[in-house]
Amino acid sequence: MSLWVDKYRPTSLSKLDYHKQQAAQLKNLVQCGDFPHLLVFGPSGAGKKTRIMCLLRELYGAGVEKLRIEHQTITTPSKKKIEISTIASNYHLEVNPSDAGNSDRVVIQELLKTVAQSQQLETSTQRDFKVVLLTEVDKLTKDAQHALRRTMEKYMSTCRLILCCNSTSKVISPIRSRCLAVRVPAPSTDEICTVLFNVCKKEGLSLPQELARKIAEKSGRNLRKALLICEACRVQQYPFSSDQDLPETDWEVYVKETANAIVSQQTPQRLLEVRGRLYELLTHCIPPEIIMKSLLSELLNNCDGQLKGEVAQMAAHYEHRLQLGSKAIYHLEAFVAKFMAIYKRFMEDGLEAMMF
Amino acid sequence: MSKTSCRRKVTSAKITDWVEPSFEDFFGNSGKVTSQTFGASKRAAGKKDESTLENKSQSKKRANPFSATHCNDGGKATSGQSQNDPWIDKYRPNIQADLAVHKKKVEEVETWLRAHAAKQQGGSILLLTGPPGCGKTATILVLAKEMEIQVQEWINPLMQEYKSDEPPEIFDREMGFQIFTSQSQSALFQDFLLRANKYNKLQMLGESPSTDQKLIIVDDMPNQFYRDPTILHDILRKFVKTGRCPLVFIISDSLSGDSHQRRLFPKDIQDELCVCNISFNPVAPTSMMKVLSRIAATEASTSGGKFVIPDKEALELLCSGCSGDIRSAINSLQFSALKDSSLPTDFWTKKKGKQPKASKSSSKSKSKKKSDKAGDHSDEVQAIGGKDASLFLFRALGKILHCKREAPEAELISHKLPSHLSQHDRDLLLVLPEAVVEKSHMRSELFNLYLHQNYLDFFSDIDDVVRASEYLSAADVLTGDWNSRSTLNVYSSSVASRGVIHSNTSRAFANCQSGVGFRPLHKPQWLLVNRKYQENALAARELFSSFCSSPMCLQTQVVPYLAKLTNPLRNQAQIAYIQDVGRLPLKRHFERIRLEALTDKDPGDADSGDEEDPAHGQVTKETGCKLGDKTPDGSLPSSQGGEGDLPISQPQPVTAQAIMEDEDVKIEEYDSD
Repeated sequence: MSLWVDKYRPTSLSKLDYHKQQAAQLKNLVQCGDFPHLLVFGPSGAGKKTRIMCLLRELYGAGVEKLRIEHQTITTPSKKKIEISTIASNYHLEVNPSDAGNSDRVVIQELLKTVAQSQQLETSTQRDFKVVLLTEVDKLTKDAQHALRRTMEKYMSTCRLILCCNSTSKVISPIRSRCLAVRVPAPSTDEICTVLFNVCKKEGLSLPQELARKIAEKSGRNLRKALLICEACRVQQYPFSSDQDLPETDWEVYVKETANAIVSQQTPQRLLEVRGRLYELLTHCIPPEIIMKSLLSELLNNCDGQLKGEVAQMAAHYEHRLQLGSKAIYHLEAFVAKFMAIYKRFMEDGLEAMMF
Repeated sequence: MSKTSCRRKVTSAKITDWVEPSFEDFFGNSGKVTSQTFGASKRAAGKKDESTLENKSQSKKRANPFSATHCNDGGKATSGQSQNDPWIDKYRPNIQADLAVHKKKVEEVETWLRAHAAKQQGGSILLLTGPPGCGKTATILVLAKEMEIQVQEWINPLMQEYKSDEPPEIFDREMGFQIFTSQSQSALFQDFLLRANKYNKLQMLGESPSTDQKLIIVDDMPNQFYRDPTILHDILRKFVKTGRCPLVFIISDSLSGDSHQRRLFPKDIQDELCVCNISFNPVAPTSMMKVLSRIAATEASTSGGKFVIPDKEALELLCSGCSGDIRSAINSLQFSALKDSSLPTDFWTKKKGKQPKASKSSSKSKSKKKSDKAGDHSDEVQAIGGKDASLFLFRALGKILHCKREAPEAELISHKLPSHLSQHDRDLLLVLPEAVVEKSHMRSELFNLYLHQNYLDFFSDIDDVVRASEYLSAADVLTGDWNSRSTLNVYSSSVASRGVIHSNTSRAFANCQSGVGFRPLHKPQWLLVNRKYQENALAARELFSSFCSSPMCLQTQVVPYLAKLTNPLRNQAQIAYIQDVGRLPLKRHFERIRLEALTDKDPGDADSGDEEDPAHGQVTKETGCKLGDKTPDGSLPSSQGGEGDLPISQPQPVTAQAIMEDEDVKIEEYDSD
């Protein structure tokens, strides 16, 4: 028994629920049996991976769904061993090279070489190339991206790459120009609602219209999240009622509490407490960028129009630094401190204005 | 070292007294004085007839570990010494009053000795620590003498007895075996403890029959113990049970990474064995000054012009240069006093002339005092006896965070900042942050982390905090790129420490430095947090690889929602992980990451510096293996209750499905739905 997200994932291009036109185009693309390197990008939960898997199925048939998880060990030139797990079928290989950290260049080169050097056995029934699916390409180091660019050209005859990422801004332009870019936009709220209805129908549940809309709005146009929320709702209460509370994950609640703590008091002592909470979030595997982002959106609820701009700009400033630096806590804390100062001034100004 | 050599001399002088009459007519007065000792030492001494008395006694000492017994009631030993002796031996303290150690410390040691020397059953252990040259050994010896306690000291034996000048033919089999059958050092040490414990030392001629109170001193740790402290612990456990006399360990603090004291005597062992730990501070400048001027005065009167006695100012400089090491201070005093040294007279204060005279009115001594107070003497390089001063992390942090300032002199007030910059006006800083960081012997990134962990306690205004945190953040950005990190490290710590100092407006001026009082300092949590983050992320990837999702959405969406769902999971490890990581304690208070207080002499965490590949989740082999080991039995660290108290909503694991139980099978069949 698996999550609804996995259970009801469409498996062919024709069964996709939204962006049907794009699906048709993709189908046309592989109809002739070959396709260029692809760069699939779009926000999280928009269905990039689903689309790619559908494409592969279109290409190779059902055999592509027979997956196995492999652990590979790659030795770097400096004799360091890197363990990396890949998901593979007979026709394709999926790997997240950014797992390897700084040595991702070696991983990319070695993996692609081993895949590309082996020819497909039966070219009569199969395609004469394999597909390598690289996820989180935007997390790759510049080094690795340059290595990738060279490798792409070299093994064009035996191997196609599908790159998958959230944003192309961190992908170097040589790679972008070598690939056919496919943008998968986030589904609209209505589309999410439709998917939710379909899933609930298959599960034999009845979902009220209002609740579906609430879930869709809550999810921030992230279909995966919407389905997870929906499933959590099911656990929380069934039959659904249209006004039931949507379950939130613990860390989201925790961030909310943290934001409240920041707003209620602005002192160094409070900052120290907030630091403890940030640490707690980090130990629970919430990446610093996500903390920054969700904290910002919680804090913005307490700001008025002019302040919002200022705070958002600051958040951008510190998030940039967070990317440049190596220890996230400095920047998170600096952001919180800065917000505290701005907010304190804002409140004091407000008080003065009230008095006069 | 020089102290031990001094004791050797004491012994040798005694021996000379004792044996001289019987050999006088044969060898003159520098004859074979050591022939009464064991065979090994006889050989050692015999082959070097022409060498001086001192050398010989030294080699004898080295040859035999058990001959280190000596008495300390030979105060007259100093009397017969020539002018060429090191002053450090000549002016050894013989009575308590001579000690340059603080009176309280001496008392502390004395009370301990009195309490433990008398009792006959059960060995007790004292641990003396402190920087080198602060008088640890001197104190214990002086006290032992005053209390008439016999002292037995362990000196590391020299293992190899092979002598190259012996022709190989007399080196027959038996002989060879005899020589080379050596015990391990730790066995010898144990043996020594046993003997020292059981037997009184030999009564030498002319000695007053002393009391049977004994004291064992270990100044020289057998090397084996550094490698494997557990051996020492076992020996000590035995000693505590069977011993009959106090045992004193003397260990010098070291600033480099691993402290010997902590490795040899970890806290739990100290508690278990009731080890009393007395830690010495560096000798205070005033008491060192006293000693130095006393020596100088005596020499001036007795040497008859052979020595040039440096003036008071030079002595002061000497004092400050030695950073509390009285041994090195006396040595450099002697060296500097040599008359026909070719050193120019103003050698001492080479760069003193360059020191800007801030105020003409202020006397010379005052300006000097100021530079002394600055604490780093960067403007006066000492030519002789200068020591690399170093600071313990605790003090280094304190210097930055408390940032002492000094009010400017009256004339300088005119140099005030223009009004629009007046918020940046600060009094003169008395510490040089870069020097402090350098002296803390720590990587600057780590120092920044320590600063970051502790700075908030010293701030009261949120605007100051904003500025300080901004500087810290900038310092981190400086070292973000590994290419330039090694160069920018220095700048980064400078930005961080100066930033923190400058931002603190409540300590901007000398007059508003009302002490914040003592604030406990803590070790940085970041290293631990970061490691946990990496480990957990890795574990998530390993455990939930069948979900085929990217780490980001796995960590922020799948795992947290799994905690809310009732899906049966594959194995215990996954459930434990969900319990541990997917849930957050939503109470007001969480004290999950314990703050680890930084104590007085803690070195920087040596193991925590292990963060060379930050930013990216570095999949090292070790962690991978560790997780692999952990997975089968599902014992991932869970802080929120193990499997015993799973909520009902969390179904029990279905073992039939547990394909992942067998970790050896690396390739798993997996059917996607």
